[in-house]
Amino acid sequence: MGIHVSVKNATLGATLKMDLAPNETVYDIIESAAEFWKKDPRAYVIRKGKSLLSASDTIMEANIMNDDVLEILPDPEGG
Amino acid sequence: MISAREYDKDRFDRSKRIEWLDMDAIGDCRCLVVGAGALGNEAVKCLVLSGFRDITIVDMDDIVLSNLNRCVFFRSSDVKNGLKADILAERASRLDPDVTIRSKRMRIQELERWDAFGIVIGCLDNISARLHVNAHSYYHKIPYVDGGTDGMTGKIQVVLPGGPCLQCSMNRTHYKALETRFSCTGKDAAFYVPKMAAEITTTSVIAAMQVREAMKIMSGREDMCVKNMSYYDGISGETFTLEVKKDERCENHEHEV
Repeated sequence: MGIHVSVKNATLGATLKMDLAPNETVYDIIESAAEFWKKDPRAYVIRKGKSLLSASDTIMEANIMNDDVLEILPDPEGG
Repeated sequence: MISAREYDKDRFDRSKRIEWLDMDAIGDCRCLVVGAGALGNEAVKCLVLSGFRDITIVDMDDIVLSNLNRCVFFRSSDVKNGLKADILAERASRLDPDVTIRSKRMRIQELERWDAFGIVIGCLDNISARLHVNAHSYYHKIPYVDGGTDGMTGKIQVVLPGGPCLQCSMNRTHYKALETRFSCTGKDAAFYVPKMAAEITTTSVIAAMQVREAMKIMSGREDMCVKNMSYYDGISGETFTLEVKKDERCENHEHEV
């Protein structure tokens, strides 16, 4: 059974519902969300509450649960 | 016995009233600032005014007109007439003649001696240079405070020896962005830095946060430091802290015991 999460877009304020398999990775979430919102090819990170999620972790390793709200953020690169 | 207005005879009197600040340690620290653009200008201003006495600035770029809306030390007459590192060092020295500020006109990849520095402040505009500074700082066990901005948002990340590093917080989107910045032009690889939205209020906030973290570190108060990233949204006015997990697969940590 899939894990249902909400992914917020910090830039647009929009939310996307996503169905995840436990062996998928956090990076899969970032990539899918970036593709859905047709984001520019740039750096993004994703957080759950006060934790930045490690992109190489699986959904299980990242302890992502049903109904979690995640947020995708652009990683500011300018100086 | 003290004379009247004794408290105005010391430039750092008000700073010294913050009890946990170790002004001697801050003054003794050799600080490396990488990047002399908008963040670099603001960071060096705050460093000098906060009591850092020994600052080295590394940057290879010329000053261009579009720098002037957010670089407090640059003037119209500097456009195409001076290097950022030189001008910043010279002008910031005027804030306090007792401060030593050196400029190094080079790419950060050309810097050979890292062990002389007590802290590194990253004021960069690209992922490639950030990865380089992160790896060298981490290897030499030098605390590194990175800053980044994008229009009305920004972030800082504090990298302490033994803790999660900048690379631990990166993922394939960073490397994809990095790849798009390199275009092969026959023999050479040209590095392209996209022109991002930038404005001074965000830059000021982020640079000030970086220097504040440097002050904590040099005062031996790593316990008060941001753990590990602080993200600033200038539209909502919100700031939130994000904990970064140390990635054992990160190449900066794979040889650690």
